[in-house]
Amino acid sequence: MRFWPRSLFGRLLAIAGLSTAAALFFAALTIGHVLERFVMRGFDDRLDAQVAVIARAVRPDGTLDTARVVDLAGFDEQGSGWTWQVDGPAGQHWSSAAEPIAVPRTFARAGEPRHLRHAADFIPGEGRGASGEPLHSRTLAVPTPAGAVVVTAIGPRRIVDAPIREAMLPLLLSLLLLGFGLAVATLLQLRIGLGPLRGLQASLAEVRAGRQRYVPTDQPLEIAPLVAELNALIDQNETGLTHARQHVANLAHGLKTPLASLALKLSESGCDPDGSLGDMVRQIDGRVRHHLGRARLAAPGGGRRVRTLLAPAVTDLITVLLGIHAARAVEPHMAIDPDLAVAVDPQDLDELLGNLLDNAWRHANTSIRIDAALMGTTVIISIEDDGAGLDDAAIAEALLPGRRLDERGDGHGFGLSIARELAELNGGHLQLARSPRSNGLLASVTLPAR
Amino acid sequence: MRVLLVEDDASLAEGIARALRAEHFAVDVAGNGEDGGHLGATERYDAAVLDLGLPKRDGISVLRDWRASGRDLPVLILTARDGWSEKVEGFKAGADDYLVKPFRIEEVVMRLRALVRRAAGHAAARVTCGPLAFDAQLGTFELDGLPLKLTAFEWRVLSALMLRKEIVIERGDLIERVYEGDADVDSNSIEVIIGRLRRKIGAERIETVRGRGYRLTAGQP
Repeated sequence: MRFWPRSLFGRLLAIAGLSTAAALFFAALTIGHVLERFVMRGFDDRLDAQVAVIARAVRPDGTLDTARVVDLAGFDEQGSGWTWQVDGPAGQHWSSAAEPIAVPRTFARAGEPRHLRHAADFIPGEGRGASGEPLHSRTLAVPTPAGAVVVTAIGPRRIVDAPIREAMLPLLLSLLLLGFGLAVATLLQLRIGLGPLRGLQASLAEVRAGRQRYVPTDQPLEIAPLVAELNALIDQNETGLTHARQHVANLAHGLKTPLASLALKLSESGCDPDGSLGDMVRQIDGRVRHHLGRARLAAPGGGRRVRTLLAPAVTDLITVLLGIHAARAVEPHMAIDPDLAVAVDPQDLDELLGNLLDNAWRHANTSIRIDAALMGTTVIISIEDDGAGLDDAAIAEALLPGRRLDERGDGHGFGLSIARELAELNGGHLQLARSPRSNGLLASVTLPAR
Repeated sequence: MRVLLVEDDASLAEGIARALRAEHFAVDVAGNGEDGGHLGATERYDAAVLDLGLPKRDGISVLRDWRASGRDLPVLILTARDGWSEKVEGFKAGADDYLVKPFRIEEVVMRLRALVRRAAGHAAARVTCGPLAFDAQLGTFELDGLPLKLTAFEWRVLSALMLRKEIVIERGDLIERVYEGDADVDSNSIEVIIGRLRRKIGAERIETVRGRGYRLTAGQP
């Protein structure tokens, strides 16, 4: 069984709500009590005065000298609810009421005449009249040589109840308003107080989406250590990934040199008459390259999306391709705004466009066009060659990992699929189609602009 | 054609050197970046094959130093690093071509020949001089349309002369392009090779320019 809500907001709200309600309840109770005592004191003073007047009329033999009894204001009116009565030690009874009212013996709280006989203080009492109206009494035991004479003055309770009610109503309303105010303040406090936590969640989401490298460190004191730990964790994660990538790269590079030696030895006459061993070497090479490419894809490149200018990157790649494919007379035409930039890690961009340009170079007859245009928040880069192009089935095939449509040269065989995965990893996509202009292959890469 | 091969894997270096020598190249092998850098900076080579991951000094810094000191020999980077950013870095450092391991040795030979030919200013693969024709891509010579059989030394001398036809090549320059660094060079041996070549292609094709060197010429029409 769960007593507490799962959310911090809920818990804090529950605690604040409960404690505020308890405080308000206690305040209402205390103030009400104080108010009642204040009003009651005036009431009691009036009853006590009447009792004192009657006490003076008590004779030493325990009887009442009625001639000396003076009825104070209220007591002099019949049916006003104000009465007094005197009980003598010999069972005599005097009363201001025309007909003696049956005030039970237990009317006085102290109750027992035995106690009253020796008491010198006024004893308060509560009771109900003949018609059920609430009454309040004050009783004094007057000691005489004949015994104690019990003098009781009784007043109607409504005399105090009405002012108490009148005072309590606005008081309770004020307390209610105060409670409402406190509730609003609590909500505000929780909202403002827990705001940094929501901000932290949003910042972490930004980090995860790759729009931020770190969680901002400008945080409240209580959260700052947590943010510092989070950022350290991000660093550790990145370092771990970099290490892992480096190990994969080292393994791949470490394998390639002996693989090159092996391929060379096999190519020397007599070692591999049917070429099957050479095929195996090529298979190993293909797998090494494939997994090296995959390891590069797993890079946290998205985690540090930087502004990479497109034109210089393409120019550099064209220089490389002009060198590598110097034997092929292919002329590149580039039309890219020099200020156009994408939110892609420079290495990812090189890998993506390098593979596409290399593919275009291999298949072009005479020329390649490279265009780029800004479309809202994305940049569309088009690379089209004037080669034979691919039909729809071949396009679908070309995007499958490890497929190689072209057996010429040292093509990676999965350049297009790697390019597609890189584009998607960086929040974009790659489309292949037949170029309407040159009839060759048109590769369109959409990448986030920066 | 004399090539500097900078490769730290001894077995691979030996294999490449053997294959290149079989294609008549003179090959000097350096097993680390420091030796390779020094050889490339001080000796005359027609081209260099440079690995990047080298002990003592990285291939990229070796290449940068060559370029900074004005060494313009064509350089083919032969490396396991196959990232496009790495290729860009290689070309920015001054590479002329880039090949990723493992490779087909025919590819290395073809690319080296193309690099040397282009460095000598020949755009087309076929270079002719009178009745003599040189296919710089395949590395074959023809005389009057018939294949010309040459020894390795003869091939090196004739290809050097052919790529600089009608230009005088100094004798020392020619010797440097023909012999490997550790070869015992007899000062008269180049004359012996020139003599044998003259007998094969016609004495008038190779002129001796006294005090300077040799020139391959198509002769007077």
